Amino acid sequence: MRLFNYGLFRLAVIAIVALAVLAPLVLVFYQSFLDAPFFQPSAKLSLDAYDFVTSDSDFWDAFANSVMLAAGMTAIAVPLGAVLAFLMVRTDLPGRALLEPLLLVPIFISAIVLAFGYVVALGPVGVFSIAAKDAFGFVPWNLYSFPSLIVIAGLMHVPHVYLYTAAALRGLGADVEEAARVIGAPPWRIALTVSLPMVTPAILFGGVLVFFLGFELFGLPLVLGDPQGLLVLSTYLYKLTNKLGVPSYQLMAVVVVAIVAITAPLVAVQRRLLKSANRYVSMRGKGVRSDLMRLGGWRWPALAIVIAWFTVTVAIPLFGIGLRSVVTSWGEGVRLSEVLTLAHYGDLWDYPNVVRGIFNTIGIGVIGGAVAVGVYTLVALVVHRWNSGWTRLVDYIVMAPRAMPGLVAGLAMLWLFLFIKPLNPLRATMISVWLAYTVVWFAYGMRLVSGTLLQVGPELEEAARVAGATTGRIQRDVTVPLVRYGILASWLLVFLIFAREYSTGIYLLAPGTEVIGSLLVSLWGTGAIDMVSALSVINVLIIGLGLAIAMRLGVRLHA
Amino acid sequence: MDFANGIRLFTRLASVGAISLGLAAVAAAQGLPEGYPANYQATIDAAKKEGKVVVYSSTDAASAGPLLKDFQAAFPGITVEYNDLNSTELYNRFISEAAANTGGGDLLWSSAMDLQVKLVTDGYGQTYVSPEIKSIPDWAHFKDQAYATTYEPVTFVYNKRLVPAGDVPKNHDDLLKLLQTKTDAYKGKVTAYDPERSGVGFLFFTQDVKHYPRAWDLNKAFGKAQLKLYTSAGAMIERVTSGEHTIGYGIFGSYALARQKKDPNLGVVLPNDYTLIATRVAFIAKSAQHPNAAKVFLDYLLSKRGQNIIANQADLYSLRSDVEGEATLKAVEKAIGDKAKPIPVSTELLDSLDQKKRLEFLKQWQAAMKGQ
Amino acid sequence: MPDLVIDDLHVRLGDNDILKGVTFTVPQGQIVALLGPSGSGKTTILRSVAGLEQPYRGVIRIGNGVFFDGAKGINVPAEKRGLGLVFQSYALWPHRTVFENVAYGLKLRGVAREELARRAKAALAQIGLDHLGERYPHQLSGGQQQRVALARALVYEPPVILLDEPLSNLDAKLREEARAWLRRLITSLNLSALCVTHDQVEAMAIADRVLLLEGGKIVQSGTPTELYSAPNSLFAAEFMGANNRIQGTLEALTGTDATLRVGDRSLRGIARGVTRLGSSATGVIRLERVRLADGPGENRIAMRRAASMYLGERYEHVFETDGLSVRIFTAAPIEGGERWLEFPHDALWIF
Repeated sequence: MRLFNYGLFRLAVIAIVALAVLAPLVLVFYQSFLDAPFFQPSAKLSLDAYDFVTSDSDFWDAFANSVMLAAGMTAIAVPLGAVLAFLMVRTDLPGRALLEPLLLVPIFISAIVLAFGYVVALGPVGVFSIAAKDAFGFVPWNLYSFPSLIVIAGLMHVPHVYLYTAAALRGLGADVEEAARVIGAPPWRIALTVSLPMVTPAILFGGVLVFFLGFELFGLPLVLGDPQGLLVLSTYLYKLTNKLGVPSYQLMAVVVVAIVAITAPLVAVQRRLLKSANRYVSMRGKGVRSDLMRLGGWRWPALAIVIAWFTVTVAIPLFGIGLRSVVTSWGEGVRLSEVLTLAHYGDLWDYPNVVRGIFNTIGIGVIGGAVAVGVYTLVALVVHRWNSGWTRLVDYIVMAPRAMPGLVAGLAMLWLFLFIKPLNPLRATMISVWLAYTVVWFAYGMRLVSGTLLQVGPELEEAARVAGATTGRIQRDVTVPLVRYGILASWLLVFLIFAREYSTGIYLLAPGTEVIGSLLVSLWGTGAIDMVSALSVINVLIIGLGLAIAMRLGVRLHA
Repeated sequence: MDFANGIRLFTRLASVGAISLGLAAVAAAQGLPEGYPANYQATIDAAKKEGKVVVYSSTDAASAGPLLKDFQAAFPGITVEYNDLNSTELYNRFISEAAANTGGGDLLWSSAMDLQVKLVTDGYGQTYVSPEIKSIPDWAHFKDQAYATTYEPVTFVYNKRLVPAGDVPKNHDDLLKLLQTKTDAYKGKVTAYDPERSGVGFLFFTQDVKHYPRAWDLNKAFGKAQLKLYTSAGAMIERVTSGEHTIGYGIFGSYALARQKKDPNLGVVLPNDYTLIATRVAFIAKSAQHPNAAKVFLDYLLSKRGQNIIANQADLYSLRSDVEGEATLKAVEKAIGDKAKPIPVSTELLDSLDQKKRLEFLKQWQAAMKGQ
Repeated sequence: MPDLVIDDLHVRLGDNDILKGVTFTVPQGQIVALLGPSGSGKTTILRSVAGLEQPYRGVIRIGNGVFFDGAKGINVPAEKRGLGLVFQSYALWPHRTVFENVAYGLKLRGVAREELARRAKAALAQIGLDHLGERYPHQLSGGQQQRVALARALVYEPPVILLDEPLSNLDAKLREEARAWLRRLITSLNLSALCVTHDQVEAMAIADRVLLLEGGKIVQSGTPTELYSAPNSLFAAEFMGANNRIQGTLEALTGTDATLRVGDRSLRGIARGVTRLGSSATGVIRLERVRLADGPGENRIAMRRAASMYLGERYEHVFETDGLSVRIFTAAPIEGGERWLEFPHDALWIF
């Protein structure tokens, strides 16, 4: 009899993951079929909530807008992301080494920070808008229009498509392109007719991901859609909170169910695409990577495209938020030189909750991120090279929390901490926030870690097995030591994500559990814009520091 | 809740006048405010034993900071665990915690007057007669449970650079006329709380209908001028000072005043036909785990010392007539006389939570926004 | 040490039957090669023996120690089988030194530190790399890595050593040296070995016995000589060595003596499983067995030289005549034009 039964251990880990990940979702589903909050004794099973929501014209408006937004941003992000990937991976675009990390910056900055930055920079009286007005006599853009929202959201999600396409292109042999070059095709033709078509599944995978993310987009429509009253499903959810005067969980739950109903099939599509992407990889051409394709005269226009994208997506909003943090007021008729101040930063230190929030954010990123990566690694190891239905099950269930907007996921987590007695004492501690973050980002973290684990050649593990090592021993002696570096990289990426997160922690916000993200939302609501902007800049600096360390260590920022 | 009842009985008895001289002397030595029952010291001692009070508040920590500092100075030994949440989250968290029976907030202090009154009428509150009750107006307390703590005029704000002096509306009629005559100039330039997405917005607009006969005309004029609706005062003030919008309607005077101090370009108008007065309602939770500390904190909020901070450091407007300063009931009365219309803390507020009435109002509102 | 016995082994992967009943024995002290084209199931046999793949039927045992028995539901996990396996890619752990790589198996067996060092060093000495113990695998040449992989598999004295294409990652020159070295080492240690290869030259050079596999079954087994000189199927004949194929029909058959009709000519050869007169048949003859003849005669055909190549140690020529193409080797250059080619009847197999 062995003391430690690995099979049992495996199932136990899976059961715990399933419980942690599915419990919030199950709770929300259950809530959607009640006529009152689930914890009220008077709550009865009912379909009233579904009736109410489906007969509300706002719901259908929001639904249509969400579909349009998701489709529109996909239509923008996919071609741009694919072309950027080609330029970065396959051509001699100048300054690639520097550009590469910059391309991923939008993933790591709170949408709400960027959105507010846009208001200051490009809003009707934003600094650039006023400059444009002085130059042309009118402002050539309208930040609050639906098309603007689509364009900004699309540009912001370019990195997702870029990531998957670039990874696929790196795996593509150079010979197929060389064959086209020898025949006489110019670079852009090769991109369009050879390279990109060969990595179609990866591009589509990125596209489906963007479409998926379009449904849970929250920060951007919250800020940019506010003035026009533009609703998407996630902001409709927010609105429902007040529609009946008292928060109506059952209605919110119905909307979540609707979002899940749309996004769940997308997960299935993604899995299918991933499979066919792998097929393509095994079909790829052979041959060593020769030198990169020379763009010749095209290199400068190509560089200009990349820089233009970066400027619009990152530089302009960050400039906006940075500017707002050092002035007392802004807008039409304000001379910025007269209102400059550093007082907002000084003011932050007067508020112990803000100071705690800054340290908690660093703490949850560094320590929480490390522990989360530990958890992800444990789960990834448990299903590592285990050809079984359980593995696929884990793949599916970890996606589940992503289908919920972070705000609802946070609320559901709060319920769990309230109604599961043993968890009670943890509620007002950072552990609750950590658990919520870890669960919400499970799929992301798992993908990072398991991708790293798969880079270990299976025969290295089999060699240890034949030499007499048990599964646990193999993982300790071979797998984990070999992916140390990859796990370190995952830690950095999880740090960046945790430091950026803003919606999940809102309901868990309490003295001691403040993080910058949820403080931003809370302060934004009360009108302390001075603090919001200064805190945003600090958040961006923390993330920038993390990125700098990542680059310094040569971490590839690939999911 | 035997313990709570005991305390209540005890304070009642005390207020009848069963005061021993010795206790009074101790009270005086400890610096108890005038008019407090002598046995109040027992409450303070019990509060210190409890050690802390958990406050759920919709007032951001930035504004509440001076108040908390002063409370700690006045009552060393009682720490305030201050949770600032938006009013919806506050409500959500409180009822969830009450249902889970896990304890949570001892004192709830929120600007969502309707939700606060609902919680009290739903039985989540604890009866406590504050010794300060005589110093605050009659409309400001409800069932000996809920207490108004501030006196915040609902104002117009405007951008001084961009709104010509002649256009600045002094009252609702002015605003209506301005929007009707200069519709194009102010198209997209006026902003207000969204009654559909914000509980405060709903409350203000329904109150307008009560006080202003031409309220629906005004709402239609808003519709024609493409009123821009937000869910947060901060967003509105920020956009008015930047010039993206130029006039803000129905803005908490407290926020406007605080911002005006930093940016003199923001103009604030107390409408001289009527000015709604909103307030932050506080009550002690029935489930409070630190009931004595909660009482001490509530009494402090209402006390002259606390109200002085509320008026002069937190810019939240004091509702006591014996407090001096810019943000006080006195100053508001001086400006507009008897035109101040406090929204009473009463069951009337529950009307706005009636589903049918609410949806009807919103339907009419949506039509008005289309100019119909 | 007892023999490794594989009995009626079946492996299925998804809907694919990879092994359809394979039976053989690796006798103590012998080297057995599993030879076959890719997809024939040879690697699957090796991995099943190692315990890395799970058969659904059959028996794998060493003496009385059963590793796998489908009927009894026995499946000893790989780590408990105590076999040695050398991977095609060597699979040296890049984060461990050569010494640590070799010593790992001993460490897992709880060998005391000094004993472990002694034995690992001895194993490294055996392969002539005792001076490189502190290096990391990537600092070694391909040939050295291959030796380390072997030492790692041998150090804990497994009853049988399994080799998966052990030489395929070496370049041609090195491969021939390594082949000889490997065979000498294994025989000198009196080990049993099971070796997978797709290269028939390698199989014949290393192995005492060769098992030829096709489509998940053993089609022929025997000594290298038997396989090369007496293939029992067209597949076996074609897989081993370089061949000429001659398509025709079976004209006559007496005992093992068969006559192949090719166009208007007849060739006499050895019958290999052909029975029906008039049915189509294939004649196979190794390139080196076709001879130049000085004139017409039995089993001779006049053909015209179409091409000629110099291969260094010999020449290869292509001869053609209507519909028939034959390649031969000669030691010296020959003149072009029409020549008589002889197909010795004991070298021509008719299938």
